[in-house]
Amino acid sequence: MKPGSGVAGRTSELRRSALHPRGAEQFAIVSRDELWVRGALLESRLLHGQARFRGDVIEARDTRDEALLRTCDESLDAARTIVAGLRDARIRIVARAVREDDRPAMETTMSITIDGRSVVTTPADAIADYALLCAVVARTPVDARASLPIVWLHGSASVLLHEAVGHAAEEGAGEVAWPEWLSVDTPLASRRATFRDVPQPRMTHVIARQVGAPFVVPEARIEVMLIGGGAYDPLTDMVTIHVAASTCGRFTIRRPRSRIAAALRGATGEPIRYPGVICSREGQELYVTSHAPVIITDPLT
Amino acid sequence: MTDDRDEVYRKWGRVVRSEDGTILHVDEAGEASERHGVFRASPIAGEAAGASPLPAPDAASVDRCVHAILDRGDRSYQVERLIVTSGIARHETNGVTWTEETQRLHASLVVPPLRVLIDLASLDVAAVDAIGSLLGRAGDARPAPPRVRLAPAIAAALLPHLIGELAMEQREGARDGKGQPVERRAITAGPPPNWYRPSYAIRPVRAWLNLRALPFGSIDPEAPVAVGLLSPIDGKVLQVLCVAGQSVFPTTLEWGAVTAVSRDEPVWHPYEGGSFGAEMML
Repeated sequence: MKPGSGVAGRTSELRRSALHPRGAEQFAIVSRDELWVRGALLESRLLHGQARFRGDVIEARDTRDEALLRTCDESLDAARTIVAGLRDARIRIVARAVREDDRPAMETTMSITIDGRSVVTTPADAIADYALLCAVVARTPVDARASLPIVWLHGSASVLLHEAVGHAAEEGAGEVAWPEWLSVDTPLASRRATFRDVPQPRMTHVIARQVGAPFVVPEARIEVMLIGGGAYDPLTDMVTIHVAASTCGRFTIRRPRSRIAAALRGATGEPIRYPGVICSREGQELYVTSHAPVIITDPLT
Repeated sequence: MTDDRDEVYRKWGRVVRSEDGTILHVDEAGEASERHGVFRASPIAGEAAGASPLPAPDAASVDRCVHAILDRGDRSYQVERLIVTSGIARHETNGVTWTEETQRLHASLVVPPLRVLIDLASLDVAAVDAIGSLLGRAGDARPAPPRVRLAPAIAAALLPHLIGELAMEQREGARDGKGQPVERRAITAGPPPNWYRPSYAIRPVRAWLNLRALPFGSIDPEAPVAVGLLSPIDGKVLQVLCVAGQSVFPTTLEWGAVTAVSRDEPVWHPYEGGSFGAEMML
């Protein structure tokens, strides 16, 4: 296939994200990925490679960048020191050093799982987020499932907005009427998971803020603490959220984006860092930092 | 796996992939080992990485396939996602070396609010266009017909969900993720004899490969036929595009017993460890 023979110039019927600017001309990555279960190492992976555009074609090889390797190893060593204190958990550490053109960046995440529920955190916040996870897992759901207002704690509303605002923006979805008291920052950048992936417009972070949206906490309510996953379908404009931990246990919300927007009733306080969103889309897993205040919605179950 | 032996697996691979209009050429080599219960994987460093140069994969076929689909005459449906791949890989483990060539086509075709998912092990443009044209004619949803045929591609997607519920065999062919030949076996409740290793960086697991449902019963050629999956299979529910005479419509099948499997030669599809699809009846 000759350079320039790609079809990127006439893909208007393909996903909108395929039309986004292509991002860095040169990309390099070194990542290390380790799985620890109850203090024992079970899996260890090293990945490295470089990719560059040649015309419309990306040429990718598993070439190693020694400087990125050193940075990656130092970060992994630092994260490993935390694992010893979390011996009852399943922990996946991913240390990821990248260079896009001349811009290096380092990111280390730790996915901590206990009893099927997870947080995704960084070494700096791992101890605090582990404590939150332990508290959530120890809590027994007490309320039967009911159609009740939902109070989104611990910044968990950021996941709802990640799907309903961020992914909708990635796909160029139409406008819906969001409350005036809410602002959501979901900047897009050209990102890729590895050297063998096509860069795509993806969120770098989600920060939701509120101004003047006080609410009275209803006596009968569902409190959401952790999210297990979510999705946005541009074809149907449907948002799906799998709640992993709440006062009424696990449940799934599946509503049109307009219904989500209309259900937002109020919010309080500053944005709270939610422990973790690994966004998986088109087979590429990327970390997205996420913050939201405590938000209340009408019943969505 | 707790075997203390140091089992090393190496793979060299070259791939051309067209992903929604962007073309990638990927060239890499990696190795994996398991010792004392720890799985390790990394790229092969230095000279060893280039020790087994592979021929270039068939980029021209990828190019032709992508252009044929995007330049088609039928505009009654849209191509939402199109990933076309041609690859060649050399594997080495347990004293065995073997080479594989693969082609994959994944497409999602849409006519709002419907989406059909297509996964093929060949660059079959005609198959994509045939399903797309039917999607373009789809009417409103209808209740599931009392009896329905599943086209080979749908049956292939369903087979991994039917292990233990339908008489099946593992068909012989190629080698598994540990270099062992894949032999014809009846599929049982016991541990599969072979290993599935979709990438050198993924820990291999025991799995049945090359599934095939054993033929039985008779197919009613007059029964409506499900020709396309409208969403991934979820439990016992199949959302499908169905054809009954001149009518094309979406419907939801809650599949129970399979009442017949065709004796026609089945076609291999890239679902999990591979499955051979032949027409089936629910």
